Amino acid sequence: MDIIKAQQWLIGIFSVLLIVILLVVAGYEMKKSRQYEPEIEIDEVSAQCINCHENKGIAVKLIDEWKDSRHAVMGIGCNECHEAAKDEFDAMQCPESNLIIGKHPTPGDCRECHEQQVDEATNSKHAVGQVMMALKGPDRNVFEPTIGTKNGCEQCHNIGNYWPDGSIGECDACHSKHRFDPSQARRAEVCGECHVGPDHPHIEIYLESKHGNMYSAFGYEWEWDYPPGDPPPFSAPTCATCHMSATRTSKRFTHNVSERLTWESQAPFSVRTQDYWAGISWQEKRTRMKGVCLQCHGESFVDRYLLTADLTNLQYNQIWEETINWANILKDNGVIHTDVFSFAQQTLNAWPKEGYDQEIEHVMYRNWHHEGRRFRHGAEMMGADYTQWHGIWELQENLVKIIELGAENGITEAKKWMESKDPNKFMMYALYDMPGNAWGPSALAYRGNMPMDRIDNYWEIVYDNVRTVYDKGLLTEDQWLLYNELYENREKEIGRIYDMPPVHEEFMKNLDIDLKQLYQEQKVDLKSFKW
Amino acid sequence: MKLTQWLKERFPIDYPKFVEINEKLFIKEPIPNHMKKWWYCMGATPLILFGLQVVTGIMLTFYYVPSPEMAFESVRHITEDVRLGYWMRGIHRWGSNLMIISLLLHIVRVYFTNSYRKPREINWMVGVILFLLTLTFSFTGYSLVHNQLAYWATTVGTNMIKEVPFIGMAALEFLRGGEEVTTNTLTRFFTIHVGLLPPLLILFVAIHIIILRVHGVSEPEGYPKGHFAFYPHHFYKIIIATLLLLTFMSALTVILPPGLGERANPAETPLHIKPEWYFFPTYRFLKLVPLQIGIWASAVFLVLLTFWPFIEPKISKKMETREKVAYTVGGLTLIFTVGFTIWEMMVF
Repeated sequence: MDIIKAQQWLIGIFSVLLIVILLVVAGYEMKKSRQYEPEIEIDEVSAQCINCHENKGIAVKLIDEWKDSRHAVMGIGCNECHEAAKDEFDAMQCPESNLIIGKHPTPGDCRECHEQQVDEATNSKHAVGQVMMALKGPDRNVFEPTIGTKNGCEQCHNIGNYWPDGSIGECDACHSKHRFDPSQARRAEVCGECHVGPDHPHIEIYLESKHGNMYSAFGYEWEWDYPPGDPPPFSAPTCATCHMSATRTSKRFTHNVSERLTWESQAPFSVRTQDYWAGISWQEKRTRMKGVCLQCHGESFVDRYLLTADLTNLQYNQIWEETINWANILKDNGVIHTDVFSFAQQTLNAWPKEGYDQEIEHVMYRNWHHEGRRFRHGAEMMGADYTQWHGIWELQENLVKIIELGAENGITEAKKWMESKDPNKFMMYALYDMPGNAWGPSALAYRGNMPMDRIDNYWEIVYDNVRTVYDKGLLTEDQWLLYNELYENREKEIGRIYDMPPVHEEFMKNLDIDLKQLYQEQKVDLKSFKW
Repeated sequence: MKLTQWLKERFPIDYPKFVEINEKLFIKEPIPNHMKKWWYCMGATPLILFGLQVVTGIMLTFYYVPSPEMAFESVRHITEDVRLGYWMRGIHRWGSNLMIISLLLHIVRVYFTNSYRKPREINWMVGVILFLLTLTFSFTGYSLVHNQLAYWATTVGTNMIKEVPFIGMAALEFLRGGEEVTTNTLTRFFTIHVGLLPPLLILFVAIHIIILRVHGVSEPEGYPKGHFAFYPHHFYKIIIATLLLLTFMSALTVILPPGLGERANPAETPLHIKPEWYFFPTYRFLKLVPLQIGIWASAVFLVLLTFWPFIEPKISKKMETREKVAYTVGGLTLIFTVGFTIWEMMVF
């Protein structure tokens, strides 16, 4: 072969080789660049389950969910979670193979890989969800038929299910099976599945708060699939952010939802949490929660906000104690038939077992279980309407209802209270207060005929009350120092030393017109039918 | 006529001379007869592709934002929202792929016809520079998408530069804009991709063509001697080739459009990190041998490739032996290149 021919052959062969092979490689790589779904490799047993389920069309949607899970990517198939021995409580013989299937993978099964998460959850208040339900309260045990509570109380309280294998909890309450995607559990709606309704409207409180408002406005653009252990890259928190997620200063994220809770504020009385839950003091829990707040807020705001919420909890205790006092008076006079409220101190059984047939008993129950929680939880989570109209307003109304019932039944003390024209009669319990608020001073907010104006030595009294709870160890030293600072600067904090804006007088003049003049001017006389 | 007169008054140059130079340099450029055959007239392919890359690249910069927060989102926007954006991006991405392939074909042709020999040694070396510039273009362009694969390929790729003897660390810091891959890296890669490399490439293409023109296109044996004018015959062939390439790339864009992948996440290293396929041979080689040896070996290969026109004559005084050795070396290099590419493609 001459050299020219050799050149032509070499060029021809290598050109064709390069064009064909490199185009195939480039095409293959280009196709791969569009692949979002990672390749899934699983063992033969799981492949057998999936093939059979898909062929028979049984629970295929769950398999699709699993395909989208991290489990699938990591090669964790059906068998790893559903494997069971013959004598296990949930063992089931697969009708198509010789496999024994566990129908109910429990936290015990999840713990094989997720030890830390399951242990944390088992030490949280979620773990006693079912215990709380099973306290033999009359709502489920007396007042309601059982069938009515299966899809009611039970459905949510199962988050603390006591499984026959000794494990406790229900991981898929938050991590829907079979996708188990953390990005779902990071959304407020997951918690809102149970933390909703008149007795603990947490999702409603959240959504009416600025946090929830930011979530509604911008949540669609947040990156939900951030790596575990990172602080959430959100501009506002969701439930999980405050109660579970890592922060910028601490990589620690937890499945113990009680780890940052300093109040047992779902109970009839608010009490500081004990060390058993999460194994740390309430002061340490507060430090951890503050770490969350400080990612977005200044310390001064956070401290003031939390002090307000703490004093709100303490104030609630006083209101509830006063309510019980009146209930006891009514009981002693034969108006209330049950005696349960006479020992309704710090107990979750604060509802009558033998009665629950009087409206006033319902009022008493709802007072702590509904209104009392709304008042406290609204204050803790920035839910203004729940603190106010669904909270303190209804608590006060309930108190008046009880006293009014006493007066109607001729109880002297109650009659005297009803007949009194003193506006201070509504402040019949010990008061807490702090000068100013977290939002900043106002020249107007604390003007007018307020309790601080009507009650002699108001600030001295509330100061002594706050000092008493601090001495009792219910406030931290930092809080007491802050309180003293606010107390000493109360004139500034209350804002009365500041001048009203010039437009105020104009506002008042026009509001007076709104209130007194407009209707008179716009009033019309019409003819109506006689009947 | 009035407009021509108006222009002539404002640009008082020697028009007949201008027309004459233009005719001599372009219109009547002598093209050897063998280039009437399609097989021989595709030398302009890389240049055509480069032209298309410039046009589509400018279009893409209208929407692309070179910041870690916005880069991925802007590419997604181009691909999914902007009218014909997916087409522009597809042509650009496939253009880069085809440019590498066409350059490899060009190298094969030049190498096996021994066109690098005296007096064309310098043009071979300019060609090597152009090939390296094109690879740098591709590497920097690939990283701009800022998805997981691109981000980690950039991280690993620049990390390898660190191992380059003597200048490694300095080169790494220059490219990354610091020790780590940060915002600086993305903006630097963008600037290099759209600001530094295009003029460099144009400069070296000009040198490449000037050298080619002064030597004339080498004519293979067995074809009737003689020349024809560049315009219209060859000119239209280039236009047809351009349209064919555009059609081919459009088809590829429709059938195999480039994907987006997942947004870059510096906190999560993906299971498999791979560069673009044209780096597969080097990447596979570096995986097979200790990194330092791999880097040194690659550097030696690059030196051999660059100075091949001066090395080949030293092999033997006998032309036949020289050719046998050259074809064996070239053949083996290509077989290893293709083999390593397929190997890397097949494994994770």
